[in-house]
Parts: sequence; structure tokens; C-alpha cells
Amino acid sequence: MFTVFIVDDDAGVLRGLSRLLRTRGYDIQSYTSPQEFLAQHDSALPGCALLDVSMPGLDGLELQRTLTAEGIHRPVIFITGKGDIPTSVRAMRGGAIDFLTKPVSDKNLLGAIARAEEEDTKSRQIHAELAAIQAKITALTPREREVLTHVVAGRLNKQIAGDLGTVEKTIKVHRSRMMEKLGVRTVADLVRMAQKVGISR
Amino acid sequence: MGDMPTSHHYFACVAQRARRTCGILLLIFAFAWIGSSRADERQERVLMLHAFNYTFPATTLIGDAARKRLVDRSRGRVEIDADFLDLNRASDPEHEVRTAAFLREKYSNHPPDVIMTLGSAALPFIVKHRDAIAPNTPVVFTGVSQANYSSSQPPPDMTGIITEFNLEKTLILAERLQPNARRLVLIAGNSPTDRLWQERARRIVENRERKLETAYLFGLPYDVLVSKVAKIPYDAIVVVLTVFVDGVGEPHVPMEVARTVAQLSPAPVYAPYDTYLGNGVVGGYIETFESVGSAAADLMLEIIAGKDPATLQPKTNPGQTYRVDFRAMRRWNLRESDLPSDTIILFRESSLWEQHHELVLVALSAFALQTLFVGALLIQQRRRKRAEALLKESEERMTFTAAFMNIGLWQFDRQTGKLWATEHCRALFGLGPDVPLTRETILSKIHPEDQVNAIASVQEASKNDHSAITDVRVTRSDDKVHWVRIRARSHSDNRDAASQMSGIFADITEQKAAEAEAALQRQEVAHLMRVSVLGELSGAIAHEINQPLTAILSNAQAALYLLTQNSPDLGEVRDVLQDIVDEDNRAGEVVHRLRSLLKKGERKFEVVNINDLIKSTIALLNSELISRRVNVKAELANALPSTWGDPIQLQQVLLNLFMNAMDAMGSTPMMQRRVVVFSRAAQTGAVEVLVKDHGSGISAEQDRLFEAFYSTKNHGLGLGLTVCSTIVEAHGGNITLTNDAAGGAVATLSLPAQEMLIAAQ
Repeated sequence: MFTVFIVDDDAGVLRGLSRLLRTRGYDIQSYTSPQEFLAQHDSALPGCALLDVSMPGLDGLELQRTLTAEGIHRPVIFITGKGDIPTSVRAMRGGAIDFLTKPVSDKNLLGAIARAEEEDTKSRQIHAELAAIQAKITALTPREREVLTHVVAGRLNKQIAGDLGTVEKTIKVHRSRMMEKLGVRTVADLVRMAQKVGISR
Repeated sequence: MGDMPTSHHYFACVAQRARRTCGILLLIFAFAWIGSSRADERQERVLMLHAFNYTFPATTLIGDAARKRLVDRSRGRVEIDADFLDLNRASDPEHEVRTAAFLREKYSNHPPDVIMTLGSAALPFIVKHRDAIAPNTPVVFTGVSQANYSSSQPPPDMTGIITEFNLEKTLILAERLQPNARRLVLIAGNSPTDRLWQERARRIVENRERKLETAYLFGLPYDVLVSKVAKIPYDAIVVVLTVFVDGVGEPHVPMEVARTVAQLSPAPVYAPYDTYLGNGVVGGYIETFESVGSAAADLMLEIIAGKDPATLQPKTNPGQTYRVDFRAMRRWNLRESDLPSDTIILFRESSLWEQHHELVLVALSAFALQTLFVGALLIQQRRRKRAEALLKESEERMTFTAAFMNIGLWQFDRQTGKLWATEHCRALFGLGPDVPLTRETILSKIHPEDQVNAIASVQEASKNDHSAITDVRVTRSDDKVHWVRIRARSHSDNRDAASQMSGIFADITEQKAAEAEAALQRQEVAHLMRVSVLGELSGAIAHEINQPLTAILSNAQAALYLLTQNSPDLGEVRDVLQDIVDEDNRAGEVVHRLRSLLKKGERKFEVVNINDLIKSTIALLNSELISRRVNVKAELANALPSTWGDPIQLQQVLLNLFMNAMDAMGSTPMMQRRVVVFSRAAQTGAVEVLVKDHGSGISAEQDRLFEAFYSTKNHGLGLGLTVCSTIVEAHGGNITLTNDAAGGAVATLSLPAQEMLIAAQ
């Protein structure tokens, strides 16, 4: 199920958009203020945000920035009554899926939501993968994690043993246990995985 | 009851006259008898059918007059029979059929040659039943109104006298006698005839140019009518029409009702009926029933002489004229000089000498004494003459100067109604050299709508010490409207009875034209400023319309999709359509608001609820406020008195104040961009609106803010506040700008509450 979070201070518009998308099978959560959205929003739900640009208090662009700052990877579609170029440029730079002008046709809106859905799925997959890797890394002992960093840095077992003040044999044991825990067979796989979570030299 | 002896006297006179006439008639009869018995023994029969019974004086008077004329003028012998149809009391259809059968039986041996009907109800009766009573007998009707005649549709061999009781001219008479009357009271009963009067009277009163505060005492129960009549104010004109039947179905004799009304009414009572005259009413434009009877008799005589009744057209109003009762005039202090010139004055009392010759003798000796004094005064006269010459010279100088200044001078004696005015007044009022300069001729040139004002203002001056000013429109022969300012002042030590008035007439047409042009220009500027403010707001307003359009489009597309389903949820579709309707209305409202602000037109004053106006203004500015990141808080007083004004112009003022408040906060941090608007009822009773911003406040040059073309804004025209204050002043209010102690500026708009304006009037 894909949820569309709609934030618009105009109740009439909110109802119209909600109804249009609900008939098309989307789950809808609607909010008349950005504050309400931030307070109640469940980032675990797959979905996208449909934000009005011009709202009292906090406008759509600021809301987008707040989401990013809080590490919420929610695809955002903007909808606005007065689409000026500087605003749309800022929105797209901030990572928006689309910047639609009111009144918006169902074709454009559904197209943008479909893209958002794709994006969301993709990003959720990536996140899931990263989370899995993170979980595995968390399961390593401190010594194994040290070995991992050195392996990724391209050090040989002998060099690692020297660095850590132990013998090559011990490193070999740590290394094979670490590779096993992370579920990788080759060093190349290990390096690719480490890159994904940002471990490098 | 004071007038009873006199009315006895009147009837006695009539009786005496009747006796005399009878004597002469007997003689004529005797000769006629001899003549006719010799020539031919033909005897003509006339049957008079009275609509009502013997108590109705109107039909009795008509009958008597007709009888007299028939006897006077007929060549042969005329036998006159009479019956009372009593149609007023017994109104069941059976009664009519019974009466018709009875009449047929009664006159079967001597059928009438002519039937005469008396009273309105008798005409439809005879139209319906003539064939049953005496087929093909010609009919002469009387006491029938035009409407009654048309609705009865009599066949061509029925002719007679149509009487239009003239309420219009009766009212004209009343207004001439009571130029200061402010109210009009009309009285009528509830019979079909009475109700015809009700309708006609309402129509006539509504179509009259001069509007008096009118009360219709129609179809009331008799005792209610009597109690209401006793409470009629002195400044009223009372007209009694007919009361054949009262509000509870009780029959009455209209003349007697009129008599009671006249006795009880504090204000003069008028009527268009002959029979009421002599019973206390002042009079009216009246048909005498005698003349109706005589005219009907003439028609009958022609028919008897062999003329085809179908060729005799009905006659209308053979003898109408203004008739008044002198005693009633005196009772209500009405002036004979106000009467139309052709008025017949009845019951005028015998001359002064006849009544009070002793008093006259005393007066004459007093006069003789006075002549002695006059002799002494003659000596003084020479001295006075010299002074008079000087005075005359001075007056001529003043008149010349006044004429040069386009001013007319006047003096008026309220007691005698005499007016003195300089010749220049003719030019001012467009009166020709052959027209006399009187109050009436001058008044006749004043625009009808301004006449009442002019009279009221002059009266006002007669009561108070200060002078009164009125501007009136004058229609001269050139058809252009001229404006004349009347200034009036009373000259009396005794304030209650200021009889001497004087003043000036000044031509102010040019001044008025300039004022009108300035008003028009102010309107134009106000409109331009509205347009320019709306221009600034165009983006925001487009957004306001875009919102409902977005909702409508989304809803419509949702509905379209729903309908493609196999079994669409029609409940949902209905909801969608309802939402579309609501949103469409919302868009319509924005457009309406915009249109009224863009509209160019004259000020239209109405009751204005300031709170509603504030809410509507905030709604209009909604998008602009959001995009400028300005927060508005409205603290509106409950039960705020309403004010009186042009809602469009007042909204323009509010719009301007809000725009100023927003402009003032351009450099205020976003979180502090707050506008608070208060509405409240001030202790003075005025309605106040305060618009408070958190901007930079007003600089030292406060007093220049309302000056035209002065602006503190980079893009400002410097007209906003100028136009606002002009608008507000035209509404009797004011607008001030002050700095708030907590920072920012406060604009205070104060408008008089509607109650204050009413009280001030």
C-alpha cells in the first residue's frame, strides 16, 4: 500500500485532492498545516508527500528542508497556485519529484505520484540493504571491526597483525569470522559493501 | 351639538322653500290637469327603485329632485311609484328573486313606462331582473360609479347618470386648506361598495405626488373606528368615504357615520359626498344629489317624449364642484382665502350687522374716537414722510446691490399670507413680468420634491431664533435645473407666533455644479485607487480563485473516474458534486467581491455590519497575507452596532489600512509580522476599527500622511490615505494614525453608529 501525505491549508483543495487520489487506490493522510504533518507523520509508511508551496507559518519548501534535516527520505511533490521559476528551481534542487501548478490535472498528478512511488521503492530497497549491512556490522566484535577497516584499506594480513600488535594467524581467524558474519566471500564484495555504508580508508 | 340649531334652521328653510314650491306646483298642476284632460288622457308611469331603504338620504335627495323635475317639466301627467329594494340589509339571492316577483305582481296592472334606479346596488339588480318585472321597459339609473357601470354591463336601452365621487379633488381641497398637514387618514367600511372605495382610495393615494403619512381605517368594527378617530392627531387630513357595513357586518348609514366621525375627529374631516355636508364635514369636490336627480329626470322626460333610450348616452357628473360647510371651516380654523375660487360656501352665517348690531355700534363709536387721534397724528406725518423718502432711497440702493449680487430679498407675513419680494426674485424663479409674486407662484416653481423641505425650513425659522437655510431646485422655463438657496429668519419678540419672516433667495447653481463635479472627481479617484490596490493584489486574488478551481477539477476528475467503475458508488458521486457546487460558490464569491470593488458608480448607502466587512476584507487578502508571511488576528466585538454607509467604499478603506500595515512590516522579522484588527463600540456610541501593525511606526511627519501625493513608500502614489479620509469624512467619521507604545502603528477608523445617525436626524 502506498500512502500520499497531502498538506494544504485550503480545506477544499485538500478534500478534492484526497478524493481524487483515494478513488485511484491510494491511502491518504491529509493535513491542513505543516506542523500537524510533522507531528503525526509516520516515516516508516511507504508513500510520498504532496505539499502546497504557499502555507501560513511554514511553507512547503521549508517543510521539505525540515524533512531532509531530520533524515526522512520522503519523496516530495510540490503543488502551487503561483508557480514562479525561482521557487520551482529551489524545490527541484531540494530533491523534489515534481513541481505542479494548480489546478493540476489527474494525469500530471498521477504521473508524478507514480514516479514518487518508484523512487520511494528504490530508496526503501537501498535503505533496507544498508540497514541490513549496518546490522551485520553492528554484530561484529570490536576486534573484527578493526580488522574490517584495515582489510578495506587494502592492508595485508601480516601488515594488519603488525599494526594491531598480534600474530598473522590470529588476524586470519578474525578475518574469516568477520567475512562469514558479513556474508561476503571475496575482498572485492567486502569493499563494495563497506563503501555503501561509508567505511573506507 | 353646537351646530344643531343652525342645521334646524337650514332644514326649516328647505321646508319653507319646499312648501312655496308646492304651492306653485299645485297651480301648475291645476292648469296642466285641465290642459291634459282636454288633450289626451295619457298618463306616464315612472317606477323609482331605491337600492336601500328610506333611511338613506342620498337616494332620497336624488328621488325628490327627480320627482320635482318630472312634475315641473312633464307635459302629460306623471304617476310616480317608489319601492325600496333594501339590498343592503338582506343580501341573500332569494331576497332579490322574491322582490322581483313581488314587483311584477304589484305592477302587473299598471306596468311602468320608465324605471328609475337609485343607488349603486339597484343597477345590477335591474339588469338581472328587468325581464321578470317589466320586460323591455327603459331604465334610467343614478348613483352609479363608472366601475359599477362597466361591471354591470347594462343593455343599450338602460341609460342614466354616472357619478364619480372625486376623491382626488377632495384631497386637493383638503391640502389647500391645510398646507401643513402631515398625515392623511382615510375611512371606509366593509360592504362591497365600501371595499370598492378601499381599493380606489389606496390607488389614488399611492399615485399622488405629495406623500403624506397615511393611515387607512378600513373595515374596522364601528366601536374600534370611533376610538381610533378620537385619537387622530391635529395635523391630519381625515377623509370619510362610505361605511355601509362595518368590520363585524353591522349595517350603518354612511351619513350618520360621517357625522359621528366629524364630531369626534380632532382634525378636519372631508368627504366627496353631498349628504355629509351639513353634518360636520368640511366639504369636498361634490356632486349634488339634486343635480343627479334633475339630470336623471331630464333623461326620463326625453324617453317619455318618445326618444329611443338606446340613443341616450349615460351622463357623467352633471354638477360637480367644490363645496364646503362654513361652520366646519370655522370649527377647525380653516381660512376662506385658501379655498379654490369657484368653491360654493354653504351655511355661511348672516352678516355681522344682523348678528351683533349692538357690538357694531360700539365699534363704530370707537372708530369715531380714533379719527380724533388720527387728526393729531397727521401732524406727525409730515415728519415721517421725510424719513420715508430717505428710507425709500436706502431701500432702492439695497435692492440694486442685491440684484447685482444675484440675490433676491423677501419678506413674508405668515398671518396674512402676503409676500413682498424684490423684482429680482422673478429672474431667480423664472417668473414672467405678468405673474404676481406670491408665496404660491414662487412655490410652484420649486421642484416638487423640494417643496416640503422649503416649507418646513421656513417654518423652522419661525419657531427658532436662528435663521434657516435650504437649497431648492427651481425649474425655470429654459428647462435647466437651477439651485436657489433660501435663507429665512423670523422677526418677532414673541417666539410662538412669529408672523413676520424675511430672508434672501440666492442663485447657487454654479456652486452646486462645482460641488457635483468635485464629488464626481472624488468618486473617480476613489475608484482608480480601488483598481490600483486590486492591481497590486492581482496575483493573490488569482490564487484565491485558483484554489476552488483546483478543488473543482480534482473532484470532477474523481467523479469521472468513479463513473467508469462497474457499479459506481452514487453516494460518493453525490458528495463529489456537492463539493463542486460549494467550491464553485466560493469562487463566485471571490469574483463577486472583486466585481463590486471594481465597479464604478455612485455611492450607495445601506446598513453595514463592520465585522462582516472586516472578515470579507481578510478573506480577500488571504493569499497576499500568506505570501507576505503576515499573520492576522481579528478581535471583533460581539453585538457591535451597525453603521450606515457604502460597503464598497468602507471596504476600500479597510483594504488600504491592511495594505499599509503589511507594507509597514517589510523589514520586520517574519515571526513578528502580525496585524491585529479590533472592532469595538466606543463610549461615544461610534463604531471603531483599529488596525495595529508591528512595523517601524510613523515618523515625525505625521500630519503629512493624509496630504495628497505624499508617500513614505518607494512605490506609493501618496493618495491612499487621502482618499480614505475623504471617504470616511463623507460617512461622518474620521481616521487617525498613531504610534503604539509597544511598537508599530495603529490606524483608528471611527464611524457613527446607525442609531446615532437616526438620532441626529
